[in-house]
Amino acid sequence: MFSTRTALTPSLIVIVGFLTVCPVVMLVLGSFSEGIGAFGKFTLEKYIQSYTDPAFAGIIVNTVIFTIGSGFVATLLALFLAYLNTRTNIPFKFLFRIISIIPMMIPHILFSVSWVLLLNPSNGMINLLLKQIFNLENSPFNIYTLGGMILVEGLLDLPIAYLILAPAMAAFDVSLEESSKVSGASNLRTLTRVTLPVLRPAILASFILVIVRSLASFAVPSIIGMPGRIYVLATHIYRIIATGFAADYGMAAAVGMSALAASIALIYLYRYLTSESEKYVTISSRGYRPSLIELKKAKYPLFAIVGLLSFVLIVLPVLVLFYTSLVPYSMVPDARAFSMMNWKHWLDVLKDPISLLSLKNSVFLGIVGATLGVILSIFVSYVIVKVRTRAAGLLESISFLSFSFPGIVIGVGFMWFFVRTPLYATIWSLLIGYIATYLPYGIRPLTSAFIQIHSHLEESSRVCGGGTLYTLRRIVIPLLIPGVVSGWILMATMFVRELTLSVVLSRPGTEVLAVQILRFAEDGLWGKLSALGIMMICISTIIVVIASLIGMKMTRVQETD
Amino acid sequence: MEIRIKSVSKDFFSEGKTIKALSDIDLAIPANQIFTLLGPSGCGKTTLLRCIVGLETPDSGEIAIGEEIVYSKEKNIFVPPEKRGLSMVFQTYAIWPHMTVFDNVAYPLQTRKEAKDEIRSKVEKTLRFVQLEGLENRPATKLSGGQQQRVALARALVPEPKVILFDEPLSNLDAKLREETRKELRSFLTELKITAVYVTHDRIEALSLSDAIAVMKDGQMVEIGTPKKIYFDSDHRFVADFIGRANLINGKVIAFEDSYTVVDSSMGTIACQKNPHASVGDAVTLCIRPEFIKVMEQHTSEDRNIFRGKVESLLFIGDAYEGEVIIADTRLIIRIEPTTIVEEGDEVSLSFDPDHCFLLSK
Ligand SMILES: Nc1ncnc2c1ncn2[C@@H]1O[C@H](COP(=O)(O)OP(=O)(O)OP(=O)(O)O)[C@@H](O)[C@H]1O
Ligand SMILES: [Mg+2]
Repeated sequence: MFSTRTALTPSLIVIVGFLTVCPVVMLVLGSFSEGIGAFGKFTLEKYIQSYTDPAFAGIIVNTVIFTIGSGFVATLLALFLAYLNTRTNIPFKFLFRIISIIPMMIPHILFSVSWVLLLNPSNGMINLLLKQIFNLENSPFNIYTLGGMILVEGLLDLPIAYLILAPAMAAFDVSLEESSKVSGASNLRTLTRVTLPVLRPAILASFILVIVRSLASFAVPSIIGMPGRIYVLATHIYRIIATGFAADYGMAAAVGMSALAASIALIYLYRYLTSESEKYVTISSRGYRPSLIELKKAKYPLFAIVGLLSFVLIVLPVLVLFYTSLVPYSMVPDARAFSMMNWKHWLDVLKDPISLLSLKNSVFLGIVGATLGVILSIFVSYVIVKVRTRAAGLLESISFLSFSFPGIVIGVGFMWFFVRTPLYATIWSLLIGYIATYLPYGIRPLTSAFIQIHSHLEESSRVCGGGTLYTLRRIVIPLLIPGVVSGWILMATMFVRELTLSVVLSRPGTEVLAVQILRFAEDGLWGKLSALGIMMICISTIIVVIASLIGMKMTRVQETD
Repeated sequence: MEIRIKSVSKDFFSEGKTIKALSDIDLAIPANQIFTLLGPSGCGKTTLLRCIVGLETPDSGEIAIGEEIVYSKEKNIFVPPEKRGLSMVFQTYAIWPHMTVFDNVAYPLQTRKEAKDEIRSKVEKTLRFVQLEGLENRPATKLSGGQQQRVALARALVPEPKVILFDEPLSNLDAKLREETRKELRSFLTELKITAVYVTHDRIEALSLSDAIAVMKDGQMVEIGTPKKIYFDSDHRFVADFIGRANLINGKVIAFEDSYTVVDSSMGTIACQKNPHASVGDAVTLCIRPEFIKVMEQHTSEDRNIFRGKVESLLFIGDAYEGEVIIADTRLIIRIEPTTIVEEGDEVSLSFDPDHCFLLSK
């Protein structure tokens, strides 16, 4: 028992280290090499080639505008929602919980597509509608712009910003505000002069995190940016390796290095800011509930905005996709459209061998990948929580290493590795890449589960006469199951929809759903795309429901046993 | 059942340092008594308890419960906790959050695979005993602190063990509840005729609950005795100071009278309890508790142990005052009944019975 325990930490460090450090190391090596087939001599050629490209400056400018813009949109919206929820008497507060969770369930690529379907200049539904109503010559909106990208990315990252800001807002020391009001300041003045400045660390933290996310984002830049020829770092890398005739993984690695460097710098900044804001929160949270501000007349207009946002974030994308999958081509939803509805796109997809293969592959990756990922997460979390040596601390940091790095960059790093192994172009390369990148999704819920299992709970069972196995069966496993189930669900849903790594690693024969959807988007096959997209959502939902049911059943059996 | 501990030691290693949690402990815990391990935080009480129950393996020595040796370094014996047949109440209560109250309490019986209806009747009886009847189907997480403590107690009692171990079971309760539970616990345990080993760092708890107290310090056993012996008649400076408010006065033995020892100190000559171990010329420490020092209302003919001093400060502590009196450089803490009228700055005469003043030899 003791020897297996001491061997556990080093072997996990080796496994996780391989998964997360390997792509980064390979990326660095690759960027200084001559070609992907053989490393060759050490060379700076790829750097010179990529950074002297005249288009590169424009790409950096686009990236900066795109990420900072998304940061602003997401943080401002989140601030607005968090304030309304924690500080005012706005009705239907449960909506805020929904807004903060559900959008994570809709794959980013489908969310982006739905906006394209609504606002693209040639046949976006809203454009068509407005042209029809006002007899316009040109479409009033064009989603294929930096503005469009920022809007959609901002909405996608809204939940993350909200999850940072809402707790900070709730822990805020109201006496600061009250004293401002006592000295005669209005609500608005208190907000701008006291509340916002005090919350600055949290606001900055959310802003930075959204920038990290949008720097890593691939769905929005590829679906919305590329048709408008607006390239950011992620799509630039994609262009280097996927379009064109000779994919140049050396150049991709060299460009990827700057995305990686930017992410690392931003993550450090983020860590610093959160530790600052946590310090602040612990000092001031004295456990009294903030008094709620009466909204009076503004109550319902404000609520209407929240309602609209929830509609736009949750209902609209699914509706638009479903509608598009049923009509023969883009048209305004009117009587004629409804009369022409049929299942043709669905049948086409079900007859398309590549789509079927991608369905099969994604389901396999979701189920097998999540299962393996959760098993690894159980061991890693056990070491992080219960062993707690310095080596365990190392394990924790390498587990989270590649989490916030742009997936496409990690993908390029893995590519440099996989071409040297028989895993190249197999489904297993995708599986390994997925687990490496999404390991934190499994580790987070499991560490909280392990934290909950205080050692006394096991020891008490031993004293009560339960042997090691009996204790495992009746105490440890039942207490772990909720963590296992949520870790598994998170990983499986991420895997079924995975796009960013897959666009690099997937090869003919290993197509996955999101990549196939991207192909449909590139070819403008919106109907088939929507049908496949809805299937993807359904599969995710079915997996989630089944996993939750199994989880519930297992805990119940343990209890009444 | 009797518990015998022979020269048990236990070291911990953390961050490159060795912590001697237990060094060479010898202890015999008599059957059917409430035996308390008392000592300051970190002195090794929990470690000793965990060694007895089997959650920790000592580095050396021997532990026997009744006739059975459960640990012996020499004979290479280690009985795992589930085979020792003991019960333990943890400081955190260790109530399993995924089970109901019933399942928590039934667990020790289920591990022994007893019959279902047997289990039900025993659990119901025990829950009635700890006054938790009606809460059987309550999820264990939906209980108050006091109720959780009772569930933990019920779970410890239900297998009718010969020995129960308690690790600071009351430290998570608020002051009032702690007092009530203390009384109850004592009546439960004496009624059931169980050997109880009780760990605490609360001296009131130790004094009021125990049949015997063992005081520990830095992994060593300092003194073992009844609560009265420990409180009134300790041999150790550390124990006398730890167990209650104490005035410790340094002095030198100058004479023996028929029933007293006479000690010379900076506040004068003090007559104190006879102590066979001391001899004339020894440097000693005297201990006198604040409640035994009386403020004299009028002069008496008695001249032994009467000192005059000035009241330096008075502190109202609810049921009395705590006063500090300076007698020729020596500061004495005394307890002043509210009926006595004294003010800060007053000159007072103090007296105490030589029998209440004892010599600490170590
Ligand atoms: N698992 C462990 N690893 C390292 N050191 C330990 C461990 N358990 C206890 N110790 C150390 O051993 C010493 C005795 O600890 P123990 O828990 O027995 O104290 P205690 O008397 O119960 O204290 P308290 O009243 O605070 O509960 C302490 O110095 C403690 O830090
Ligand atoms: Mg302890």
